[in-house]
Amino acid sequence: MVLAVDIRNLSKDHAGEKALRGLTVGVPEPCLFGIIGADGAGKSTLMTILATLWDADQGEAKVLGRDLRKDFQSLRRDIGYMPQRFSLYQDLSVMENLDFFADIFGVTGTLKAKRKKELLDFAALTPFTRRRAGQLSGGMKQKLALACTLVHEPKLLLLDEPTVGVDPVARRDFWIMLKSLRARGITLIVSTPYMDEAALCDELILLHEGSILARGKPSQLIAAYPYRLYRVDADADVPTLTYPASKAPPEGFTLIYPSSGALHAAEPKAEKRDPFNRLRASVPHSAAVTLIQPALEDCFFALLTGAGKSTQP
Amino acid sequence: MNLRRLLAISRKEIRHILRDWQTLAVVLVMPVMMMFLYGYALNADAKDIPVMIEAPDLGPEVRTLIDKIDASQMFKVAGVIPVVDDAGELFKLYGIHALFRFPPGFSADLRRSGGAHAQVLIDGSDPNIGTMIRNAAEPMLLGATLQVMNIRQPKVLDLRSLVLYNPDQRSALFFVPGLMALILLMISALLTSIAITREKELGTMGQMLVSPLRPLEIIAGKIIPYIFLATLDGLLILVVGYLAFGVRIAGNPWLLGACSLVYVFTALSIGLMISTIAKRQQHAMFIALGATLMPTVLLSGFIFPVASMPIFLRTVSQVIPATYFLEIVRGIILKGVGLDVLWKPVAILAGEGALLTAISLRKFKVKL
Repeated sequence: MVLAVDIRNLSKDHAGEKALRGLTVGVPEPCLFGIIGADGAGKSTLMTILATLWDADQGEAKVLGRDLRKDFQSLRRDIGYMPQRFSLYQDLSVMENLDFFADIFGVTGTLKAKRKKELLDFAALTPFTRRRAGQLSGGMKQKLALACTLVHEPKLLLLDEPTVGVDPVARRDFWIMLKSLRARGITLIVSTPYMDEAALCDELILLHEGSILARGKPSQLIAAYPYRLYRVDADADVPTLTYPASKAPPEGFTLIYPSSGALHAAEPKAEKRDPFNRLRASVPHSAAVTLIQPALEDCFFALLTGAGKSTQP
Repeated sequence: MNLRRLLAISRKEIRHILRDWQTLAVVLVMPVMMMFLYGYALNADAKDIPVMIEAPDLGPEVRTLIDKIDASQMFKVAGVIPVVDDAGELFKLYGIHALFRFPPGFSADLRRSGGAHAQVLIDGSDPNIGTMIRNAAEPMLLGATLQVMNIRQPKVLDLRSLVLYNPDQRSALFFVPGLMALILLMISALLTSIAITREKELGTMGQMLVSPLRPLEIIAGKIIPYIFLATLDGLLILVVGYLAFGVRIAGNPWLLGACSLVYVFTALSIGLMISTIAKRQQHAMFIALGATLMPTVLLSGFIFPVASMPIFLRTVSQVIPATYFLEIVRGIILKGVGLDVLWKPVAILAGEGALLTAISLRKFKVKL
């Protein structure tokens, strides 16, 4: 299997803290690869290192078969990097931004015209070519930024939290674009704090405090879920159910947390007792209790709380 | 280095400049505004102005007068010469501002007839100093001569003149070179350092680095538009100086242009240097103002003559590019001198620029 990215034991301190602690991961080619994690998990640090902009303190990394540290100059021709913050020129128009990136990557002549037309269609920005980038909506800005990173047809795309601050509809559109790029054979590495976007990836890692907490295909992660999961819905008296975080979970349960308007409660698969009475007894206003399939979000929650407990003294 | 990529950066930078019309307006209006402000607000005080003495006979009277001139606050005698062939040469070569000429037989005339003739040649290329010398020379020498001859003059009237509001239009000769030095420096050092740090602050520098662009292409591409802007401002100052203040270029205007480009290069290298240090635009602005504009205004000899500064500040002024550029511009515009006289300041400017550019290119980070 060809690896687009091959990282071994990568560490990096940033702002006096350990941002990455000995990361080892391989990204196959092609792949839509997700880096999932909360703020401060080390996602951006990893992305910036892969984009050749930072050097790791320790460890080795190969990107597209080349050494990240030694061959960064040649790698810069073949990767597309979209930083976390909107990094286009707000005072330039959509077309001028695209032109600039085409020019600096040496895309010229008829090829340039063809690529620009394709990308404008792809990003649905054709009607807005003369509009200043600063006057685009958040979703359109991100689409333009994506188009600009694609103008030189990179083999590897690095997108650092591309959908943060973008409305849900635009987020969905954006992911449809990423999926179609993946279908064309491009490898994409996308970091995101949104758990729901994780399910859209071919493979993903869950980062927590600079370490990989889990890696695999979404289906593998779900299959590895260690608990039995129930959804607890509210009765007509209250709009949503709550459960104090400080209070211990109901008897026999390991976890209980709010999720999409209801409570999710997880118990070990070995638990034999009837869950309904135990839940009803400790959650006031609970009505229906349903056995459900865990989503990725539930898997991550289980992993993260496990990690939280293990790091506590 | 790839010209196409360099031009792509320049094209983008020109668009930034043209779209930021407020800054553009400041850049084009400010020089004109400053010319009129300085044209009427400047006045200066000087001491230890370098002068020379032509004295074929060094009788005791003449020697006493020379001592008096040297002991005065205002003058400092740079040399005493028996016979001067070409007074203009002395002014150009030694940078003196006045030449006192005592003819042969001056002492004898004084002793015999109780009256003698003397002459003072005054450098008018710096009108403030010229006016001051003219005003001070006669009363000082007269008093000294009377003292030498042991004559007590009854004090009937003591009239001192003080020029207010600088009505003399020739003061333009003084501030036009100074403003050239200031404005060119500001455009080159301040605007370029801001333009480069802006890319860092907005995160677009990272985006540019992840591309085939090389540091030299980024830097040169960003700088070129500002060279044109500086040229435009230089021309603006000269044209307004000519039309509104009657300042003519006595020397070769092409030489002035070429020397100005050398100065712009030095100033750009300062801007580059600042941009390798500063992380934010405001940061860059404060460094640029503090490290370039302030010393230029205060220490280059633009407003306060370098001669009147304490030794420490005089040393600082020897490092400031504007000190040399002022020498060049005043030389070309006012005295009409050529490279044969000005090669030294030009070489110093070029050397400073080359040094700072080399350091900045070395310090330019290809990573974040």
